[in-house]
Order: sequence, then structure tokens, then C-alpha cells
Amino acid sequence: MKRGHGETWDPPPASRSREGPSMADKKKVADDNNNMDDELLAVLGYKVRSSEMAEVAQKLEQLEMVLSNDDVGSTVLNDTVHYNPSDLSTWVESMLSELNNPTSSDLDPTRSCVDRSEYDLRAIPGLSAFPKEEEVFDEEASSKRIRLGSWCESAGESTRSVVLVDSQETGVRLVHALVACAEAIQQENLNLADALVKRVGTLAASQAGAMGKVATYFAQALARRIYRDYTAETDVSGGSFEEVLQMHFYDSCPYLKFAHFTANQAILEAVATARRVHVIDLGLNQGMQWPALMQALALRPGGPPSFRLTGIGPPQTENSDSLQQLGWKLAQFAQNMGVEFEFKGLATESLSDLEPEMFETRPDSETLVVNSVFELHRLLARSGSIEKLLNTVKAIKPSIITVVEQEANHNGIVFLDRFNEALHYYSSLFDSLEDSGSLPSQDRVMSEVYLGRQILNVVAAEGSDRVERHETVAQWRIRMKSAGFDPVHLGSSAFKQASMLLSLYATGDGYRVEENDGCLMIGWQTRPLITTSAWKLAGGGESRR
Amino acid sequence: MSGKRISMVEKSNNKRQRVNQVPKFSINDHHDVLVEILRRLDGPSLCSAACVCRLWSAVARNDSIWEELCFRQVSPRPSLSLRSVVSALGGYRCLYFLCIRPVLARLPKLRWTRDQLQLSLSLYCVHYYERLYVGAWLGDAPPSSLMFLRKPVNVV
Repeated sequence: MKRGHGETWDPPPASRSREGPSMADKKKVADDNNNMDDELLAVLGYKVRSSEMAEVAQKLEQLEMVLSNDDVGSTVLNDTVHYNPSDLSTWVESMLSELNNPTSSDLDPTRSCVDRSEYDLRAIPGLSAFPKEEEVFDEEASSKRIRLGSWCESAGESTRSVVLVDSQETGVRLVHALVACAEAIQQENLNLADALVKRVGTLAASQAGAMGKVATYFAQALARRIYRDYTAETDVSGGSFEEVLQMHFYDSCPYLKFAHFTANQAILEAVATARRVHVIDLGLNQGMQWPALMQALALRPGGPPSFRLTGIGPPQTENSDSLQQLGWKLAQFAQNMGVEFEFKGLATESLSDLEPEMFETRPDSETLVVNSVFELHRLLARSGSIEKLLNTVKAIKPSIITVVEQEANHNGIVFLDRFNEALHYYSSLFDSLEDSGSLPSQDRVMSEVYLGRQILNVVAAEGSDRVERHETVAQWRIRMKSAGFDPVHLGSSAFKQASMLLSLYATGDGYRVEENDGCLMIGWQTRPLITTSAWKLAGGGESRR
Repeated sequence: MSGKRISMVEKSNNKRQRVNQVPKFSINDHHDVLVEILRRLDGPSLCSAACVCRLWSAVARNDSIWEELCFRQVSPRPSLSLRSVVSALGGYRCLYFLCIRPVLARLPKLRWTRDQLQLSLSLYCVHYYERLYVGAWLGDAPPSSLMFLRKPVNVV
């Protein structure tokens, strides 16, 4: 917001005198400093250098915000000792530092938790915005103090500082409570955590919008963690509820469409001259990715290649064979397109059980592509799984491997770090789902349930149950390189299509496409959320096209 | 309307006599000419034309008119194989209403190159596939993957 000098100056001197030491009208002659003192203020008795005006204005605003928050004991400020109150700059400084370092020692030894997330939450507009700050925590009954330390500095530098209003204040409290609860769990103080999680629940219920929803899911997940009540969601129908949810997620927001279209473009470029194409999809779900690819292949100059799809899915129950039905649907579609099509379904419990022979590749005649959307991170739950899968993939010698993964580190060893990361990540996601002024549709509600299940897994599960072990693209790069893959840069075609897709969304100015060293990332505001990357076997063997 | 028009003419001796008139030209008799004219219209005009009468509405369903409308600005012109693909997916008229028109409304200054065309077709594909094959499985819900195109945009 604008910091006009004229606007901010008039009220503060009068209101500050309530809390601070008495500002009896002292008419002092303005000292001669290096910079001229502001004349108008000098008349009132305050010495502020003109060069410092903006800074002091900011600090006064921060003070005002803190003081309007009744949790913070204004007694603290009443007790501070000031010297030379006409020097507004140092006076404000001393008030703020008093808040940072309360001298009263009648509280128990406090612990602070540091929010070490990489991403700046202040960039998220709306109700889910909250500053990153260090929190001093004491016994639950007494009031909480808000440490302004890191917030002040960062708010001072950034011209985008968020001006908190009352409703956002409850958002701030909500986040404090969530982080405090997670911290209590980290410290194995489950009684405290239990009390806190109930508080979070009540706060979240009164918070409208994305922040409230995220907080509710996180509170539920925390509660499940406290009571060790995580059971792996087993679907009687063989995972099809998950597929339904993912379908709604596909419809309601651009993330999956982005993933599919950019991966398809990478595949198209890799098989540009192939006469026979074989795609292995490590997670077929409903096969939404492949109609668009088949259409693009059908329009290829020179005619379409023959297209063979091997789809991998969870084990089938006796009554249904959804993989085969899916294959049949895709075959019908391919026939409409005029593309020669062949389908094979592989049902397996875990991707690491796959062996190269299962794919029945025909290396002499076909160009092989491996595609994975949100599948690889699950294998990190058991040690050795990801290496086995990558070895299997290497053995079948694909021309290109397209990988789409969430852009977050939810696989840290320390629970608290994971929690903070996840809180930031899913806050962004929920914020992007929150359409301005439209009624919640079934799509959106189901998408939120879909994300809620991920939240539950990240927070409450442990060991081999915790399958949502997302990692950032930097981590995947290291992993893929050490497994023997080289990156393939996604081209500008993919970028342009992605940009156009996002600009079609009503909230399109919130979505961003970025190129990151050959990978494409889609994000909300400044936070990248999903990354598409492509890989080939290292060592550049002859590319069979 | 018949080609020849026979009208009654009053003669000076108050006897009516049948006279063969020169057939007047009526566009409704020449559907191919009508199609050629409609092909050159822009979207709103074409939709108005389709509301004139039942004949025009039927003629306006001719897909080649909509093909022209969809890809008039695309250069180079897409290949003929596109026609069979789009027909299989439901035709140019549906493509226009579902994809091209919302896209143009959202991005009026869009330069239509191969990438933009590819994206529109991908979206159309997804809609078709979802409608036919996924919709029933989701339980009577109409396909909503293109719902985002229909939502109003706050144009500031």
C-alpha cells in the first residue's frame, strides 16, 4: 500500500501517547542534523529526519497493528523506558525491540519454532496470507506474544507488505495455533498438542475461505496423528474413489491439464519421426492424457504412427476389469481418430514389482516412451523401490521419460519441517481453487477432498503408509542423474500451450508458468506447485526414431 | 417456393390472363450460394443468420461454414486431415461453440499458430472423451472439463 508521508503522520502522535510515555507537548527546537528534520513535525515537537520518514511510518504502522491485537499485552509497552521521546525513530525502534525481547521473566522458559519454509507466504493474497515469524510459546493459558522480529525486517524491505485487517488476524492466529500444535507433536508433548488441535478446530470453523478449509484438513490430520489413528485408506472398489476424486480435480483446475498437455508435447517432439510408438503409462487412472496425444498424432504430417499403450493400474477386484474397459474406450477413440491402436493393461500393487519382460517391448520396431504423473513419489516410501523401478525403466531403453511431480519437499525427516512445507503448499493450492464469487461446485468440493486426503497422508501417516512423499524438482534431478538419466529440455511449444491454457482460466492472472532449466512449472502466484520434466538415458545412445 | 411464378395480370378488357413471369432469383433456392455467403460471415452474424428461418437454420448447420469460421485466422491453413479428426470429435460447429468462441472471447488478440490450434483441439478432445466415456462413470454429471471456459471473467 502506498505510504504517503502526509497521510500517515497526522494521527500517530496523538494515539501513541496513550500507550507510550507521556508525550507532553515539548516544543524543542529542531536540531541541526545531517539531514533536515521535517518541519511540520518539528512544530509538534518531534524530531524526525526527512530521510527516515518512510521507515518510521512503516514502523508506526506495525506498532499500531500490534497494539490493536489485544492478545499482546500493552502492559509490555507501558513498561518500556524511553529516552528522548521526541526522536520518533529511536522511540519506535525501542518499542518494537521491546516487543521482540520482553524483559519480563515471569514466564516459563520459552521455545521458539522457526518457520524455515522457503516460500514467502506473504505473497499469497487474501485470507490465507500470513507472515512468517518466529513464535515464542508459553503455557497455553497465558497470552501469546507475537514476535515481530523477522516480520518487521522483511515487511520493511518489501513494498508488497500485507496490511493485516481484523479477519486476517484470525488467520494469523490460526496459523500460529497450527504450527504450535505441530511443534508440540514434534516435541512429543501430546497433551499440549491435543489442547491446541481443539483450539485450531474452533478457530478454523470461524475462518471463511481457503484458509479455513486448509486449516480444517490440517487439524483433522494432526488429530489423527496425535491419536495414532491413521489407517491406510483402502478402497473396496480397487482405488476407484481416488480416481473419481482425481477426475474432479482434473476438471476444476488446470494443474492436471497442464501436466498432460506439456508431457504430451514432449512426447510428440520425441517421437516426431517414429512409425510405431509405444507408451507406458505408470498410472493410467482414467486415461485422460491419451486422447489428446492420439489426436495430435493423427494430425501429424505424414500420417499417424501406430500407437500402442501399456497402462498400469492397481490390482483389479474380481467383478471389474477397469483396465480392460479403459483400453476398450481408448481403442474406440483411436478408431475415430484413424489411429492404429493396441492396448495392454498391467495390474500391479506397486510399481517396483514391474519387470522389463512384462512390457513386451519391441525395441527394433517401436519407439518407447515412459510417462509418470504423480506416481514416482509413492515409491519413496519403501527403500529400494525407486531404484528398482528406475533400473527397470533403464532396461527397456525408452527414448523419453516424462515425469510430472508436485513441487514441494514433503519428504523431510523432521516432522515439523514437513508440516510447515505442506501448510504452505496446500494453502496455495486451496487458494487457487477458491474462485472469486462463484458458488462451490461439486468439482471444487471433490477436489478439496482429494487434496485433503493427501494432507492426511503427509501429516498423519508414517513409514510405508506415508506415500505422499513429494520432492522438489531439484531433488528429483539429483535422483534421476544418479540413476543414469539426462534431462531433456521441454520446448517452447509446450510453454506456449501452457501459457495459453492458463490465460483461459478466469483466475488466470494468478496462475504462472515458469521454465526452470528445461522443466516447466505451474504455480499459483509466486509459488510453483507442479513440475513437468523429461528425461532420457544418459550417454546418448543412438536415438531410434 | 417454386421456380416459376405465375401471376394474374389485369388486361385492359377486364379479362384476366395467365402470364408466365420471368423467374425471380431467390437465395433460398440456391443453398450452395447461401452456404458460400454464410461462410464469409463472422460469428455473431452467422448466429443471427441461423435464426432467420428454419431453412437458413438447417443450411447454417453445414459444417464447412463453421470450419471457415474456426480457422479463418489460422495461418497456415490446417491440413485436410484435420477435417476428419474434427468431424469425428463432433464437428466444427461444436468446436466453435465449445472452444473457439470462448477462447476468442477470453483472448481476442490471440495469434492463431499451430500451438494455439493444438491446445484448442486438445481441449476439444478431452471434452469429447469425457462426455462419451467418463461421464456415465462419474454418475450423470455432464462433462465439466471445459467449464472453466464458460465462467465469466472479470475484465478490468
